Amino acid sequence: MTALTATASPARRNTEAGLMALAGIVIGVAFVLSSLGRSDAVPANLTSFVVAILALFTCAHIGVRKLAPRADPLLVPLAVMLNGIGYVFIARLNDRLAAQQAGWTAVGIFSFLVTLAVVRRVRTLERVRYTVGLIGVLLLIMPLIPGIGVRINGARIWVRLGVISFQPGEFAKIALAVFFAAYLVERRELLGTATFKFGPIMTPDPKHLLPVLVAWGFSLVVMMFQKDLGSALLFFMLFMSVLWIATERASYLAVGMGLFGGGAYLSWTLFSHVQDRVSMWLNPWQDAQGKGYQIIQSTYAFAWGGVAGTGLGQGLANRVPIAESDFIFAIIGEELGLLGATAILVLFLLLVGSGLRIAMAATDPFSKLLAAGLTTLIGVQSFIIMAGVTRLLPLTGLTLPFVSYGGSSLISNWVLVALLVRLSDETAEAADRNRPDDATTVIKLS
Amino acid sequence: MNRQLRKLAVALIACYLALFIKLNFMQVIDAEELNAKPENGRQVVRDFNRPRGDVVTADGKLVAHSEESDGRYKYQRTYPTDDLFAHSVGSYSLLFGSDGVERTYNDELSGNTTDFRVRGFLEPFRDEPNVGTVALTMRSDVQQAAKDALGTRPGSVVALDPRTGAILAMWSYPTYNPNLTSVNDATTARIFKEAFDADPAKPRLAKTFRDRFFPGSTFKVVTAATGLDSGKVTEETPNYPASTGYQPPLTTRRIGNFGGSSCGGALFDLLKVSCNAGFAQMGSQLLGPDLMIEGAQKFGFNEKAPIDLPGTAASVFPTDFGKRLRDGDNPGDAAIFENTPGLAQASIGQNSVSATPLEMALVAGAFGNGGTIMAPHVMSEIRDRKGDVVRTYEQSTWKTAVTPATAETMRRAMLGVANGGTASGLAISGVEVGGKTGTAQLGTDPPKSHAWIIGFAGPPGQPAQVAVAVLVEGQPGASEQTGGKVAAPIAKRVLEAALAPAGP
Repeated sequence: MTALTATASPARRNTEAGLMALAGIVIGVAFVLSSLGRSDAVPANLTSFVVAILALFTCAHIGVRKLAPRADPLLVPLAVMLNGIGYVFIARLNDRLAAQQAGWTAVGIFSFLVTLAVVRRVRTLERVRYTVGLIGVLLLIMPLIPGIGVRINGARIWVRLGVISFQPGEFAKIALAVFFAAYLVERRELLGTATFKFGPIMTPDPKHLLPVLVAWGFSLVVMMFQKDLGSALLFFMLFMSVLWIATERASYLAVGMGLFGGGAYLSWTLFSHVQDRVSMWLNPWQDAQGKGYQIIQSTYAFAWGGVAGTGLGQGLANRVPIAESDFIFAIIGEELGLLGATAILVLFLLLVGSGLRIAMAATDPFSKLLAAGLTTLIGVQSFIIMAGVTRLLPLTGLTLPFVSYGGSSLISNWVLVALLVRLSDETAEAADRNRPDDATTVIKLS
Repeated sequence: MNRQLRKLAVALIACYLALFIKLNFMQVIDAEELNAKPENGRQVVRDFNRPRGDVVTADGKLVAHSEESDGRYKYQRTYPTDDLFAHSVGSYSLLFGSDGVERTYNDELSGNTTDFRVRGFLEPFRDEPNVGTVALTMRSDVQQAAKDALGTRPGSVVALDPRTGAILAMWSYPTYNPNLTSVNDATTARIFKEAFDADPAKPRLAKTFRDRFFPGSTFKVVTAATGLDSGKVTEETPNYPASTGYQPPLTTRRIGNFGGSSCGGALFDLLKVSCNAGFAQMGSQLLGPDLMIEGAQKFGFNEKAPIDLPGTAASVFPTDFGKRLRDGDNPGDAAIFENTPGLAQASIGQNSVSATPLEMALVAGAFGNGGTIMAPHVMSEIRDRKGDVVRTYEQSTWKTAVTPATAETMRRAMLGVANGGTASGLAISGVEVGGKTGTAQLGTDPPKSHAWIIGFAGPPGQPAQVAVAVLVEGQPGASEQTGGKVAAPIAKRVLEAALAPAGP
């Protein structure tokens, strides 16, 4: 690892350029095939599509070369690949949304570059942890503020400020990941040692845990009022994994699972929409034309795709309601089959793998925790929604990162990847700095 | 911390693996079941949004075709020959599903076989989808001849090539126009379907292979052949004395000859005049139930003919004639069973014997084909969009009914029936024609009967090229002449059409 990072920074960027070219070719071919499959015609906007892809990819790549030259070469190619495939499927479903998604992609990559330019050192984030935490909390409660909060499809997760509508929860998750990581670094020693006697059990002093518990409880309560189960689950998983990694104590996981089980049961008894989700997961055919319609159509879409899929543009995508958003994975499964759906799984796994590798290689605890938290966000969010769409778990609405339609989701995920790129670059740089010193020491000794 | 990170990696990989397994269940293992769910309309929508293969006759006439449509779906199935092939080709409807050839060869017509998928995959840039054309063995000229000859009398006509089992014509009346029920417009389709279903004449019923009728005297060839095959009957023996009827044991009801005529003699004489008394006695007393049941089943009774069309009815020969009451061990004495009178009736095609017109054509064909019945079929080959043959119907033997020697004897006997016997109306100059008439009585007041004729024809000295069965239902009159008079001219026209070379 160190040997590679020390000498191969330009090589890493060349690898990245090659992978991005490959992704561009795959996306371009898919775009043309999808249009041929749908209307037997080469897409009318093919030239502008190619120009846009070249421009966006070049910007992203040059930005990384300038701003984070030592970063992992897989992150950006994986992100553009998922983003591009998502665009191809949105274009296949809805021209109007595709145009918007193209715009959001540009804004997303711009945000990626801005994040890289602004956050030059990860330490900066650690220093402003309480500010970031406060911003995260504010973002979370924004949809509940009368006047600006909007309820769409049952969930109150939108905010309308003038002409701009967005889902603040998508940004809150990054803010909270930063806050959790910074806060737990500060307190991990205290939390890791049992000093408080709770009956026969020794636990860490509860006062150290209090702020974290408050943040967690707060986010959960807000999610309940917003009826956004997916985000609640995602935040909880983020919190648990960072806490566990920081303290290295499995007992937190056990307590967490207990809390989760209790919370899940409580919400199941209290909220009819939670009961609906569970019964539609167990047997959607009991209300095939009503509550179970979407998940059944999703199941049929996967089945119809079979191993090889119907071919791009040749599925019956309009059968699955709101396919461009939460259910886009079902359309991918229909048109690209088991092979294509598995390819998406592999892309996410590679992204998760890259993120965790960055966490492993990082030397300072904050970088480790932040990388782990951000990776958990991507890995768990994509798993929760894909599991929901395939009926592996009850459906909880979330976007599929980079793939689903949606500006907030796309922009926040590009920011998230920017932070991972920054972490990766810094880790590699630190390794570079340490190596010559070590070598000198060795020579001196001999 | 790295230990936890590794564990986190493993946990996430496990999650994704679970997703992969779930995908395999949905997309591979359960896919077929999910696709077939009734409220999952994907198959229907797909099939009506892309052309479906054509169905053409052996002489190249287009029978079923997908036409581009302006409606909700891109294509509309049409049948250019209207009612001519309604009962065999069937129809393919958005509302009522498919029937006939449209059903049996649905996968080929919709390009849904492995073979077509592979071909489609190898030529990804061809515009039209890779769907199959089904070429029939049926000939539009023979079918038209059957339709014209039967006219508006209710009845059935089946013509086939006994050497291969290929169906040449299969017509029954009344019929319907499949264009009316398969139109994509649901309201129209439903109105016509309901009207057809309410019609007591059952125009949608393919009587040739889905309905059963008393075969009457045409069944005597089965009795005769069974006797010959068992060795108990030869051309010379038994030789029954002339009588006007036969009274089976255990009953006072006589089985009389038609019109009270007197007949008797050896096999050829009995067949020539269709002698009820002789065959009733032969079946019930000389052969007995075991031989008769076995003999009928060797011709395919009590079994569905393996034709490549859905919903075939099995022809029936009764199998329960009760306990043996008398041994019949003494020479000149016959075994007696509880229901020997029933067997006597069954031996002349009455009692509960019933047969599809298709079955009777197969029986006739067996004698023209050395005793072998080939599996009947309407598909001759499947072609791809370039016209290349991708599959040819694989002929197979369905039944070995009798030995070649028995078949040859029966062939000569039936030539005699068509030459001076009751089936004389079949005779065609320059062609060897054999036949057997039948008149199955339905009632006596007024006298009504099903008029039957079965037969075969071919060049002299060669195996028969065509076998035919004609049934005209519910004709007035009840004499043995009825079958010959009413059905023979129809059968003759169909035989002539089938013997003429198939023209485009």
